[in-house]
Amino acid sequence: MVYSRAIDILLIVAVLAVPTVLGDLWAYNLSLVYLYAIATLGVGLCWGQAGFLPLGQGMFLGLAAYMSGLGLIHVAGGVWGWLLVVPVVIVPGVLAFVIGLLIFRGRTESGPFFALITLAMTLLAFQIATAWNSVTGGFNGLRNIPDLAGMSDFTDRYYIAGVALILAVAFCMWLIEAPIGVVWRALSQNERRIAFFGYSTATLKAAAFGAAGLLAGFAGFLYAPQQNLVTPTLAGFVVSANLVIWAAVGGRGSAIGPALGAVLVGVLSTELRDGGGFGGGLDALWDFLARFWEAVVAGFFIIVVLFLPNGIAGLFAKLNASLKRLGRLPFRPILAPPVRTEGAAGPPALALSGCRVAAGEVRILNGLTLRLDRAAIYCLIGPNGAGKTSTFNTLSTELRMQEGEIRLDGEVISGAAADTLAAKGIGRKFQIPSVFPNLTIADNLHVALWGTRARLVSLLRPSLRRWDTPLLATLRERFPFLAQRDRIAGDLSHGERQVLELAMALAAEPRLLLLDEPCAGLSHEDTRQVIDAILWAREELGLTVLLIEHDMSLVREIADHVFVMHQGALLAEGDVAAVQADDKVREVYVGMAS
Amino acid sequence: MDPLIVAQTLNFAYAVISLLLVVLGLAVTLGWLGVMNLAHGEFVMLGAYVAVVTERMGWPFWAAIPLTILFCIVLGIVVERLLIRPLYSRPFDLLLATWGLSILIRKIVEAAFGGGYISLTVPVKGSLDILGASYPTYRILIMAFTVALLAMLLAWYFRSSAAARVKAMVGNPMLAQAVGIDTNALARNTFVVGTCLAGLAGVIIAPVTSVNPFLGLDYVINAFFVIIVGGLGSVLGLFAGSGIIGGLDSFVSAILDRTSAFFLVLLIAIFFLWLRPRGLFARN
Repeated sequence: MVYSRAIDILLIVAVLAVPTVLGDLWAYNLSLVYLYAIATLGVGLCWGQAGFLPLGQGMFLGLAAYMSGLGLIHVAGGVWGWLLVVPVVIVPGVLAFVIGLLIFRGRTESGPFFALITLAMTLLAFQIATAWNSVTGGFNGLRNIPDLAGMSDFTDRYYIAGVALILAVAFCMWLIEAPIGVVWRALSQNERRIAFFGYSTATLKAAAFGAAGLLAGFAGFLYAPQQNLVTPTLAGFVVSANLVIWAAVGGRGSAIGPALGAVLVGVLSTELRDGGGFGGGLDALWDFLARFWEAVVAGFFIIVVLFLPNGIAGLFAKLNASLKRLGRLPFRPILAPPVRTEGAAGPPALALSGCRVAAGEVRILNGLTLRLDRAAIYCLIGPNGAGKTSTFNTLSTELRMQEGEIRLDGEVISGAAADTLAAKGIGRKFQIPSVFPNLTIADNLHVALWGTRARLVSLLRPSLRRWDTPLLATLRERFPFLAQRDRIAGDLSHGERQVLELAMALAAEPRLLLLDEPCAGLSHEDTRQVIDAILWAREELGLTVLLIEHDMSLVREIADHVFVMHQGALLAEGDVAAVQADDKVREVYVGMAS
Repeated sequence: MDPLIVAQTLNFAYAVISLLLVVLGLAVTLGWLGVMNLAHGEFVMLGAYVAVVTERMGWPFWAAIPLTILFCIVLGIVVERLLIRPLYSRPFDLLLATWGLSILIRKIVEAAFGGGYISLTVPVKGSLDILGASYPTYRILIMAFTVALLAMLLAWYFRSSAAARVKAMVGNPMLAQAVGIDTNALARNTFVVGTCLAGLAGVIIAPVTSVNPFLGLDYVINAFFVIIVGGLGSVLGLFAGSGIIGGLDSFVSAILDRTSAFFLVLLIAIFFLWLRPRGLFARN
C-alpha cells in the first residue's frame, strides 16, 4: 500500500512537472492527449472491469463537448462557465446508464452485440452532429468557443488537463478498489453466477457504462474550451475506435493502464509528426516510422491483442502486486449487517405443482410436484436423466416451464429472475464449482456476502471490503484454507473450490439452499467435512436444503426427507427407510441395474 | 411498361444485388465460421486495387479475376494462420485484431497508391434495352455475376459435405476433430473462400465506383447490417437483409438524400441488434 502510493505520487509529480521540464510545446500537445486519456479510462472500466466492450465512447465525448461548447457560447462564460461542468458531466453519464440498462435488461451475456450497438450509435451520433447544422455548425463544427476562466494560455490549459487526468485516474482507482469493482470483475468472469448471489447484472453493467459516460463527459467538458472548436469527428467512429486501441495498448485491466496507453500513443505520434529524428544514421528509420506511423500503431495494436492481453501495464502488474503486498495494512474486520430478507422469516414453503418442461420432443419435466415446508435436508435422488438438475434449472428459470406453477410462501415465483430469487432467500450451489477464478478467496466470499446485504449504491463504499460475519468465522475454523484471504481462487484444488463455493452459498445466508452434488469429486475426508458443514448449517441457521445426491450412503446419513424422481416426475417420497422399501423405487433402481 | 418504372425497378434490384455481392463473403466467414472479421471490407478494397493494378499493367480487366483469387488465397491463408486461428476462442480479441488489421491494410494501401480516388474504365460499355428502358450493360452483368456466384455457393453448401463439416466444427471443434475432421484445414479453407468472395466483389464493383482506401469501410458497414437483419446462417435471411438494407438505402436516397438513408439504416440496425439480435429468420 505505502510503496504503491509512493509510485502514485511520483506519477503526479511527473505530470505536474512537464511544462517546467519539457517546455510549452510538450505541454500544448499533452493537454489534448490527457483529455483523450480521461475518455479512454471509461473504456477501461467497461472492458477491463465489467467485461463488455464499448465501441461508442466517442458518442458521449462528442455530446459533452457540444454541450460544453454551446453552453460557453450561449449560456455562461468566464468563471460561471465552470458551473457547466455539472450538467455536461451528468447528462452523458445518465444517458449512458439508461442506454446500458435498456440494452442489458433481460440478457445475461456481454457478447459482441453490445459492442455493435454502441458502434452503430456512434455512427448515428456522427450523422446527427453533421446534419444538425443550425445547432452544431454542421461539418465544420462549433467554432470560436470562448475560453473558460483561467484557461487562456497553454500552460494553464496543461495544468487543468493534468489535474483533471489525475482526478479521473483517482476516480477509477476508487471504483476498481471499491466493492463494485470486485463485483464487476466477478461479473466479467461468470455473469450467471453473479445473478444467483442477488445482483442485477443489467444494473451493474449499466453502472459501468454510466461511469464511462461520466468520464467522457468530464473530458468533453474541458475539450470545448481547450480546443475552442468541436467537430463531428469527435463523436464519430474513428475517435471511438482509437479510445479502444489506446485502452488495449495501455492495459485495460488496471486503473492507470488506459490512460498510459492514450498518453504513450499520443506522445509517440506527435513526436514522430513534429520531432527531429533519431539523429545519426537512423534518420531513414525515423522517416519510415513517421510516414507509416498509423500503420505502425495498428501493427503494434495487433501484437498487443495477440500476445499482451493486459497491455503495457500488464508487464508491471507483478511488480505492482508485490509492492502492494509489501506495505499492506492489517485486515480489520467489521460486522456485516444482516441479510435484507423479503417475505416471511422462518422456514420457507416451496411448492412446485404440475411442472412441465419440454425441449422439442424431449420431455424434461413431466408434471413434477414437490413440496418443502420445514427446516430440513431434502434429498432429490433418481437415475441419470430423471430431471434432477433440470428441476433446479426450472426453479431458476433457465429452463422455461410450459405448464405448472412454483410458489414460495404462497407467492408465485415461476419466471422470476435469478437475482429476485436470491433476494427472496434462495441460494444455489452449482454442480461444477463456479467460483470466480481471478478473484482472491476473500473477494469471492465478499461477493457472496454483499449480494443479499448491500444495495448498489453502497457498493461504492470501500469499508464493505472489511465485512465479516460470525458464520464466516465458523467456516474458517472448519476449513482453515478459507482464512488465506489473498490466495487466488483459480489456484485452489478441486476440493477446495467445492468447499469455497459451498462457503459462498452459505455466506449469503439463504433460507433455502439448492445444492447440486456438493460432494462430487471430493475425497472421503473432504466429503465428511462438507456433510458436517451442511448438517451444522441446518442446525445453526435453521436452513432448508434441497440437495441432489447420487451417493446413497450419504443420503441415508443426512436426508430428513427423500424425493425420488423418475422420467421427470416424482416417483416416491418419504424418509429414507420408507423410500427404500417402496416397490416402485426398487423397480426403477433394480430395473436399471439389471 | 413505363420505362421510368422499369429503370427504377432495375436501380432497386441493382442496389440490393450489389449489396448482396459484398455480403456473400461475409456470410461465409461470419455466418458459417462465426468469425467477426472487421477487415472484410478491406479485403473487398484490396480486390478493387487488384483491378487497378491490372489496368495499370495494361492487361485486360478480366485478368483481374484470376489474379484476385490467387492474391486472396495467399492473403486468406496468412491472415487465418497468424491472426484468426489463435483467437477463435476469444471473440472480442478477434474483433479487435481484425480491426487493427483493417487499419493496417488501409494505411499500407494509402502509402502505396495514395489516398486519392481512382476511376477505372468500365470493361463492358454500352447499355441494354430492357422493356423500353436503357440500362448499363455492365450493371446487368454485375447482377448476373452475383446470382451465379450465389448459386455456386448454395450448390456447394447444400450438395457437398463441406457445409455439414463446417457446422460440426463450429458447434463442437473437439468432437469434430475426434470424428476425423481436420478442423485447422477446414477453418482455413472456409476463411479463404470468404476472402476470395470479398476480393471478387471488389474487382467487380471497382469499375462502377471510385476506388479509394476507404472503399471497403463504406460497403462493409451495410453488409454487416444485412447479416444482422437477416440473421446468421440462413439464405432467406441474406435475401431479406439485403432487400431491407439495400432497398431502403436506395429508396430513401432517391426520395430524400443519402444522409437520411444512412440514418434510417443505422436505426434499423440498432433496433435489430437490441431487440432481435438473432435476425429475422434465425434458426434456434
